[in-house]
Amino acid sequence: MASLNEIVVASTEFGNVVHPSAEAYDRQIRQHLSFLRRALSNQDLNSVLNDESVFDKLDPSKDSITYLLILRHQIKAAQEKAGKSTPAKLLPIGGLWRRMAYYLENFEPVQTRYVGQEWRQVVEVFAQTAEEFSQPILATQVIRDAILRLDPSSAVFTSTHLLFARLCLRAKTYSCALPVLKRPICHIPAALNGSNLRSAPLLCDDHQSSLAFLGEKSGFSSKLSHKEFLEYFLYGGMIFMAVKDWRNASHFLATVVSMPSVGVISKIMLEAYKKWILVGLLETGKLNTLPSITPSHASKTYHTLAKQYVQLAEAYERGDSRKFQERFDSGEERWKQDNNTGLVLQVSESLTAHFLKRIKKTFASLTISQLLEQDTPLPKDPAAAESIIASLITAGDLKATLVHSSNHSGDTMLRFSAGSNSSRLSHELDVQAQLKKEKLMLEVLMNRIDESKHNLALSDELVDHLRKGQSWTGAGENGADKDDGADIEEDIMVDFA
Amino acid sequence: MGLPSLTLGGLVELNASNLPPSQLFEVLSKYEAEAVLLAAGSGSPEPSGTHSELLSLFYSSFFFSHLLTQQKSSRSEARALTHRLPQILQQQDPSIKSCIALLRALWQTDHVQVFQLLRTASWPEGLHPLVQRYERKISLQSLRHHTSVTELTRWIGFFQDQSLIAVSRSYEAIRPEVAASYLGLDQAAAAQNDPSIIQKFTECGWRWDLESRLLHPAPINVPSSADKGSTNVFRDTMAMLGNQGH
Repeated sequence: MASLNEIVVASTEFGNVVHPSAEAYDRQIRQHLSFLRRALSNQDLNSVLNDESVFDKLDPSKDSITYLLILRHQIKAAQEKAGKSTPAKLLPIGGLWRRMAYYLENFEPVQTRYVGQEWRQVVEVFAQTAEEFSQPILATQVIRDAILRLDPSSAVFTSTHLLFARLCLRAKTYSCALPVLKRPICHIPAALNGSNLRSAPLLCDDHQSSLAFLGEKSGFSSKLSHKEFLEYFLYGGMIFMAVKDWRNASHFLATVVSMPSVGVISKIMLEAYKKWILVGLLETGKLNTLPSITPSHASKTYHTLAKQYVQLAEAYERGDSRKFQERFDSGEERWKQDNNTGLVLQVSESLTAHFLKRIKKTFASLTISQLLEQDTPLPKDPAAAESIIASLITAGDLKATLVHSSNHSGDTMLRFSAGSNSSRLSHELDVQAQLKKEKLMLEVLMNRIDESKHNLALSDELVDHLRKGQSWTGAGENGADKDDGADIEEDIMVDFA
Repeated sequence: MGLPSLTLGGLVELNASNLPPSQLFEVLSKYEAEAVLLAAGSGSPEPSGTHSELLSLFYSSFFFSHLLTQQKSSRSEARALTHRLPQILQQQDPSIKSCIALLRALWQTDHVQVFQLLRTASWPEGLHPLVQRYERKISLQSLRHHTSVTELTRWIGFFQDQSLIAVSRSYEAIRPEVAASYLGLDQAAAAQNDPSIIQKFTECGWRWDLESRLLHPAPINVPSSADKGSTNVFRDTMAMLGNQGH
């Protein structure tokens, strides 16, 4: 039977050991883990193990395993004693809360690969406690950093990703979510099982892909179904919407909308489709066509169930501001029920830019008064209209210039152009910077594709598993109402307009 | 842990430190959890009296750090921050109320109101460095003289600078009083073609047409900081895509 002192001594030794090879390190970690599990099961140690001062003797950056296991032990004991999942000791300001935060900010990621389940449990308790304290913001940054510390690529989708996205939405900390959301998800843990695990290299080794240590059996994720996957992308889309990154929002929502399904589509998919239509209008000014991989029955269902959105988008696309207003007004209740009022209002506001882009196709230049003679969403006051146009040009939504008349009471001219040489140069520099970013993203994706190809080529079981995975889409088959959709019932864009 | 506690003195010092906006934002964002806990204080969701001054300065500073970062999403993020504020601060704190009014004016591109708020609202003493930094009372000429990529991007990013760039892109010819309204200058004097106002613009390379009494802006381009060495990006990307197919 190990004493507390022995545990502390073992932890210090383990933290200071030099690892000659991955094999030796793997062996040491497993031995240490086995020793700790035995020690923690010792009932005689319960009283000392539940004393918070034990953490003062441990350093999670050197030995993450001991700190985490004792932390988990104390959390469990506190929960059992209080008979609820978030006893006072766990609440923010409480001792265990600070210990959890300290651990998540300082854990050693390689050692932690061996204790995935305990790591996830602590993250979940941390998030749940912050929510119960009505301050989810207390957990967002810590959990984000923990996700990226464990796997800087964040390429494997886990239940923690979903928990994190939901937490950021609730806390309204959108930019906090972006470093995780902007890293492409390339794998789900279920994709690694059977023979691959057996042939996988050591957990503590250097791996090109984090799938090697974040597999299904690692414990880093709870069991996932298609619903969690859809929710993550819906929440991600909503977060991008909140920061007006329409392009990424559209991409995330399109992932949900085009999810393979047999039979009826789920509510989450329908909700995403409605948002996707509106985001598409804000991104491109058009009613976008569904991704080609969208099942044909789903396309028809979307069209039927979201008819008001489609009709609104059609009026927008045609630049028919009267029709748009009619449909906007008639759908008011619908937008409200769907928590999309804020988004629809933004679409309405963008109608001016859309209108001017259409006018540009006909006129090279025209005065503000001539412009106001058209059927336009602009205000009738020329000065107010000029101000709106100027802000659209400034924001880069319209390529044009304004020219004041030499007669000071005269009309301002709006001149559509490809821009001056210098503004073209500026535009080209922007495109160049964008291309550089895209290139980096593509490099990452190419590497992931290579890995996937490699996995597929090596493992027959994986192919079988993926084939079986087709039935993964099944939950949506039973009817649209089964998936109640995301539990964020809020119009996050409501006061944008 | 690792970060000194959030104090009034520390915050004042931080605001005056002239840290680059991204670093300032990063540091302040790490304090947000502590501010939330201070606001929650004794379990009440509202800040206790002893912390209200600190919290007011913290959230006002954090608000300005959002604006100073000049990320595409900074205004949306600043808006999200105003939603996270303790309710009592939103309703009663003059500095926070001014922040919210400023955000509304920015959202509505009401330049006159923005300058008015920046100059006349009752900002706490410790916030002055950030307010001034954002308004940036620089000689407009400085923009003209900082032509290298790094120098220019260092100068750009503050409200008056941004407004100058915006006007120079939006207008081919502009009446002085309208230009003055964008830049927070005296509109009445500008309408009278006050030479000192006109000179501010001509120093930036704008042309003053005495006959038409219009200013002709010289476009200012802000090169992307990522442009150096990226001339072959397109070719490289296409080559990479091409290789992938083989």
